[in-house]
Amino acid sequence: MKRIGFTTSIPVEVIFTAGAIPVDLNNIFITNDDPGRLIEVAENAGFPRSTCAWIKGIYSVIMDGGGIDTLIGVVEGDCSNARALVEVLEQKGVDCISFSYPNSRSYDQLKKEIAKLCSYFGVELEDCIKVKKELDRIRKRLIYLDELTWKHNKATGFENHIWQVSSSDFNGDYISFEKELNEKIASIEKRAPKIEGKKRIGYIGVPPINGDIYDFVKSQNARVVYNEVQRQFTMADSVGIQDVVEVYRNFTYPYNLRGRLLDIKGQISKRKIDGIIHYAQAFCFRGIEDIVIRKELNVPVLTIEGDRPGNLDQRTKLRIEAFIDMLDQ
Amino acid sequence: MRILGIDLGSRAVKLALFEEERLVESRIYDTAVFYRDYCTNTNQKISIDFGRLEFGGFDKIVSTGYGRNNVNVENALVIVELKAHTFGAVWQTGLENFTLLDIGGQDSKVISVKNSRMVDMVLNDKCAASCGRYLENMAGVLGIGLDELVRHHKNPVELSSTCAVFGESELIGKISEGYGIGELAAGVNYSLFKRVKPIVERFPDDNLVVSGGVARNEALVSYIRKELGFKQIVIPERPQLNGAIGCCTYYIATSRKKS
Repeated sequence: MKRIGFTTSIPVEVIFTAGAIPVDLNNIFITNDDPGRLIEVAENAGFPRSTCAWIKGIYSVIMDGGGIDTLIGVVEGDCSNARALVEVLEQKGVDCISFSYPNSRSYDQLKKEIAKLCSYFGVELEDCIKVKKELDRIRKRLIYLDELTWKHNKATGFENHIWQVSSSDFNGDYISFEKELNEKIASIEKRAPKIEGKKRIGYIGVPPINGDIYDFVKSQNARVVYNEVQRQFTMADSVGIQDVVEVYRNFTYPYNLRGRLLDIKGQISKRKIDGIIHYAQAFCFRGIEDIVIRKELNVPVLTIEGDRPGNLDQRTKLRIEAFIDMLDQ
Repeated sequence: MRILGIDLGSRAVKLALFEEERLVESRIYDTAVFYRDYCTNTNQKISIDFGRLEFGGFDKIVSTGYGRNNVNVENALVIVELKAHTFGAVWQTGLENFTLLDIGGQDSKVISVKNSRMVDMVLNDKCAASCGRYLENMAGVLGIGLDELVRHHKNPVELSSTCAVFGESELIGKISEGYGIGELAAGVNYSLFKRVKPIVERFPDDNLVVSGGVARNEALVSYIRKELGFKQIVIPERPQLNGAIGCCTYYIATSRKKS
């Protein structure tokens, strides 16, 4: 079965329908035994020091790790670095397909893009509904896992992150994913709810390059009860929708900030969030969006930046600690 | 009740001793010397030889420093330095609402204080060019002492390097162009001001309190007075001891609440 890598979430229904294995390259990179080495490989290949680590990581997963037959590069709706990455990989002889989320969120334009993808894989858009129904069953369980986090206070911020973020490719095998997820949920259900009185934190922005952030927040007597983009990856808001194009229009991440803010504000209110940690990857344009985010959200916002994979650095820990301390007052 | 406040900074260790809610003694030591001459490290905890320090006895130690995680003084209550600075500034100035600018040896921070509490903060700690170390280095390049450097504020030369290290080469270039020491020193002071200006302006208020060692930089203060929109600029009597004082007054305030 062909392994189809992608740089950020794309209509994974198409890949499964085609009988191929979707591979979210971000996840492969970050779960590697030595992600730092992958960054070095890319930098040695010429990627600038002052460029997003995720792009470098994805490059090395493909070039150094191998095993990817085709790359779907999201050249619109993620960032321009992804576009440049595709250009580099094409030059190196990697089979690449470009995919664009139209900035305008136009239904017709998005439909054309998804149709192009379908055509490449030799499937019809209508065929994808079957797979969608299967995935929706799993997505409903992810919604429940999310509720176990914010409503029932049993699942941890890290569990909320890892299971949702993995739904971009369902670890390449949604049948096994479903089984493992259900087992996990069963064990979480047995827990006693977390003691109240801990501050409730929402995490917005791209998933963290420093995985220990959730445990660190926990150690400061607070809990992450919301992960914005990871939740978006689950397409939770489109469960039951039969139109695949509409699903990926509802997906807020590739489009403008306004859509994201609407989503975030609703969740802040619903989950009774005390404070927001806005994470931006170093050198990422999304750091600029911080200016708007701070003004628009009615709860305190801490902005942190991550660069290299590994544990949180001392400075970031200090910021988080001081922020939670401040919420406590 | 005698309380000892310790602020373990990157360049200086500050000690403040409070007795019955009054500051009775304070000292400042070079950090490296302090660790070398007065401390031992046992089981990842710093043990201070108070006998050697000759401070007399005390009932409580409260410490702070760069990151709660880094500071492990034996038997001390450790508080976040941002909190220590807030409490210190409130006690030293008597103000309840102000923006606090603290520029230390290796970081600068701006804290928004409302009703004596920290409500927001910004740290600039990735950039060496916006803190005391930068001034020390540049004074060295100019061959003058820090005391001399901080006095100059007129006709600053343009120093545009983003980076403290490249800034040194740029400064040397300016020396070769024939600028006088006064203008060069002013240029160094002004370049520091330019870097902290954006973060200070994030929190407008009537009052600006400036603390940390760099508060004694007269040139910096003159630029702040001239170019920022604060109605009142307050330099506490002991700007460098702000954190250590805050440790003590924090403890006093919280034990008062409990009783």
